[in-house]
Amino acid sequence: MAAVQETIDAVAALEKYEHGFTSDIETEYAPRGLNADIVRFISEKKGEPEWMLEWRLAAYERWLAMEEPTWASVKYEPVDYQSLFYYAAPKKKDGPKSLDEVDPEILEIYKKLGIPLKEQEVLAGVEGAARYAVDAVFDSVSVVTTFKAELAKVGVIFMPISEALREYPDLVRQYLGSVVPVSDNYFAALNSAVFSDGSFVYIPPGVKCPMELSTYFRINASQTGQFERTLIIADKGSYVSYLEGCTAPMRDENQLHAAVVELVALDDAEIKYSTVQNWYPGDAEGKGGIYNFVTKRADCRGDRSKVSWTQVETGSAVTWKYPSCILKGEESSGEFYSIAITNGHQQADTGTKMIHLGKNSKSRIIAKAVSAGKSDSTYRGLVSVHPKATGVRNFTQCDSLLIGGDCGSHTVPYIEARNGSAQLEHEATTTRLSDDQLFYAQQRGLSQEEAVALLVNGFVRDVMQKLPMEFAVEAQKLVAISLEGSVG
Amino acid sequence: MSTAVDLRDPSTFPSRRVEAWKYTDLARVLRETPPPSPTVETAPGGPFAALGGEEIAFANGRAVGADAFVASGEQTLRLRFVSDATGTGHSASVRIAVKPGAKLTLLESHEGAGAGYVASYRIDLDIPAGAEVTRVVLIDEPADAISVSVAHVKTVPGAVYRQTTITSGARLQRQETHLAHGGEGTEVTLDGLYALSGERHTDLTSVVRHGGLNGVTSQLTKGVVRDTARGVFQGKIVVERGADGTDARMGHHALILGERAEVDAKPELEIYADDVQCAHGNTVGNLDESALFYMQQRGIPADEARALLTQAFLIEVVDRIAHDGEREVVREWLTARL
Amino acid sequence: MLKINNLHVSVGDKPILKGLTLDVPAGEVHAIMGPNGAGKSTLGYALSGRPGYEATEGAVDWRGESLLDLEPAERAAKGVFLSFQYPIEIPGVPALTFVRTALNAQKRARGEEEVSAPAFLKQVKAASAALKMDFDMLKRPLNVGFSGGEKKRMEILQMALLEPSLLILDETDSGLDIDALRIVSEGVNALRSPDRAMLVITHYQRLLDYIKPDRVHVLAAGRIVASGGPELAHQLEAEGYDKYLPQAA
Repeated sequence: MAAVQETIDAVAALEKYEHGFTSDIETEYAPRGLNADIVRFISEKKGEPEWMLEWRLAAYERWLAMEEPTWASVKYEPVDYQSLFYYAAPKKKDGPKSLDEVDPEILEIYKKLGIPLKEQEVLAGVEGAARYAVDAVFDSVSVVTTFKAELAKVGVIFMPISEALREYPDLVRQYLGSVVPVSDNYFAALNSAVFSDGSFVYIPPGVKCPMELSTYFRINASQTGQFERTLIIADKGSYVSYLEGCTAPMRDENQLHAAVVELVALDDAEIKYSTVQNWYPGDAEGKGGIYNFVTKRADCRGDRSKVSWTQVETGSAVTWKYPSCILKGEESSGEFYSIAITNGHQQADTGTKMIHLGKNSKSRIIAKAVSAGKSDSTYRGLVSVHPKATGVRNFTQCDSLLIGGDCGSHTVPYIEARNGSAQLEHEATTTRLSDDQLFYAQQRGLSQEEAVALLVNGFVRDVMQKLPMEFAVEAQKLVAISLEGSVG
Repeated sequence: MSTAVDLRDPSTFPSRRVEAWKYTDLARVLRETPPPSPTVETAPGGPFAALGGEEIAFANGRAVGADAFVASGEQTLRLRFVSDATGTGHSASVRIAVKPGAKLTLLESHEGAGAGYVASYRIDLDIPAGAEVTRVVLIDEPADAISVSVAHVKTVPGAVYRQTTITSGARLQRQETHLAHGGEGTEVTLDGLYALSGERHTDLTSVVRHGGLNGVTSQLTKGVVRDTARGVFQGKIVVERGADGTDARMGHHALILGERAEVDAKPELEIYADDVQCAHGNTVGNLDESALFYMQQRGIPADEARALLTQAFLIEVVDRIAHDGEREVVREWLTARL
Repeated sequence: MLKINNLHVSVGDKPILKGLTLDVPAGEVHAIMGPNGAGKSTLGYALSGRPGYEATEGAVDWRGESLLDLEPAERAAKGVFLSFQYPIEIPGVPALTFVRTALNAQKRARGEEEVSAPAFLKQVKAASAALKMDFDMLKRPLNVGFSGGEKKRMEILQMALLEPSLLILDETDSGLDIDALRIVSEGVNALRSPDRAMLVITHYQRLLDYIKPDRVHVLAAGRIVASGGPELAHQLEAEGYDKYLPQAA
């Protein structure tokens, strides 16, 4: 009997995706499907300059000629690109000028998600809590960006990329596609053609951004792809910490999310980019969920520049994502800290590439994968050292934890060393959740699920510590929720 | 993963676009079927001659005597692939069966003479319960030779298999080992050692598939590359659904001693069972500067200190060879090349 | 016997020794004491030729010959021995093999005949017994898995076998308990002789109770700032290095 109840609980737990509510927002769509006219439609909706439309159309042409990649160890139903909506926006004439003009229903959604959009709410928060500015992207458009005025005082530009294209066209044109070229890969080309919004950040020389910046992505509309584009430029000697969060309603269909994130770090600049990815993972039978096909890359162009990627991946039905660093600058440094948790029928193929081109460049990779249920998780990574890059150092550690005998966990590192002075070190382990530890915790009074959450949080601790405080608390809860029902 | 290379059919020559051949682009160096190698003679012998035993030899791909072998009791077999050809190609395949309870020491040598030949070999080895096979492969080929050798090894529960490959590389050289791991009571050791200089290239690729319960695999490969040489290590351990209790460890460690030398490594784990202990480690680096200084401080000249440290780095693999006789042959062969 | 004149040594771009002058006559033992970061270890490395320790100015004369242009192994063959503060572990090379390789390399460099294996073993057995070392330990890779005390004993054993004429002991007492300290010191004292010179680098006076110095020098901020007899060491022990620190000057 107990076993039956446990099974029922386990299935119930999988239904617990707490951000799965849908909201009835009056939405304006582009016609279904994709062709050059849709690309023109999106560009026109955004009031973009002519060169931008040309850029998009060129990307669309490239995309048509490309094939969807198959090398990742993920299996999914082919996406019917003609059945999707490529643009969905809450109906509203003109973009809102201030928070007061934002549809109260949308504000309500963000409130429900726990994202503060009112600056005074942030200020009225807990004493001593860090403030952070939010760009809220709802389906295809940014609905509001907070703290813009305060950030502008120190010269920090933080706004929807659609707005930046109008207000700072030269800056955007200089950097857009300079890290992830249009033809980089199938999904990047698609994104370049149809991206509708995302965040743009510019930190001027020598400025330490006074608060955390964050973008919160929400897919609401059905049968809609989300294609956001983020571009962050840290000018010489500047610093910024950027956070990204995302959720989507529970729907039976698979929805496509194909984002591109480009980071540029000039001399002595530092960018810390953190993601908590909690897209809807699909139900217990593997129905529905987001296809998360994302290209994220940082160009450490400047000497002594530094980029640090931290990701907590708990959502999505299928994840295909490799936040990478091109370490061009001398003594530049790249970091990748990752937690990937899969349960149910989720599949994740994620990792990083550290391309060492600059002398004395360094990189560090710590990847923790936890697989449960019938899920499948792969770490795929590349560390490569260019012949001219002397004095390169890399340390990589990949640990996998398996919960239950029906999941899979794979480690596929590539190491390419073309310089005699490189020191590269890679370690990987795969183990199961220890019965002894589980029993020990339970003997001391923890429930099975609490014990699992405790042990898994211990396993991922090294990476969790890299997250900004507010995010770490959220992420820990997420780890526990994602694994509910995984043992039993 | 195993694309069977057939020298008669250029469409079977993989290029680097084939994932498993990413670092060893056979199609680039070999565009068409090479003319067949001439018949040559070879007298019994080879690097392991002093260790005695039976001998099977292939000279330019042609069997000198028998082309298959059944081992029973305690036996030593010297399996020799002798090449003496210039600009021509040859291939051979051999099947070795082992009777239950047999202990076979398989001493395999690839002895190359001539220039620019192409060789392709396939070895099939079945190891039943209670049998033990120790295979030592010594590959010594000219700098401009091209060779691919593939071994398919099948073990069942209760079999013991140890393999050590030692090579100095060639223009393009690849040794593949595909091992079906029997599980319960089966112990597998799969080691490799490469010492490359000039423009030599070697690729040690292995796939160990754990299908049964409680299988143990231990893999250690070490290499040193100089000049513009290139060492490739691709090791894959697969633990299939239900292969609980698997304990698999893989290590690859390389020294790059030339400014323009290259090492590419892909140590891969593919795991579908949860009650496992699997680990791999990979390091690429150069000699420890402080050890180098320490040795010089005690009066050992820099070049000698480097050679000693390099040998010390590689010797771990040699020390894992079970029998004294083979170990000494390999040690001397290696010392002569450092 | 050892004459150091106005020696300047930099590590990277950073000057560490800034005009060090020191004279050690044959048969004498000189102690170099000083606060942390004064450049004590740098002196040992500079004399033995560690890469990265660049002499930018000054001269080191050893038995009438300049040391500074020689490779580390050449200096060793001329009798320079540095006992490392942290002896290096060398996996894969048994201690016996290592010492014999070093001894024969030095003999070759000096044009002497190499020592035969049986003769060498005999020497090692005698020397290790004197240091109360387990002979089997010498079959293990050099210093790998050795305790701190075992590593220091291994240094002194090498010193006894290589018979150097300039002995530089860098913090030899660190990590040693009293018994080990006594054994190691006896080993060092056994090597005192009229044709040898010895530099004992130490932070504490303790070691000098066992290895009695003829002269004591204080090294601070890259130079010798005070010299005296053995009583100077006791004075330092009582008063500390404060008055030699830059901010006190």
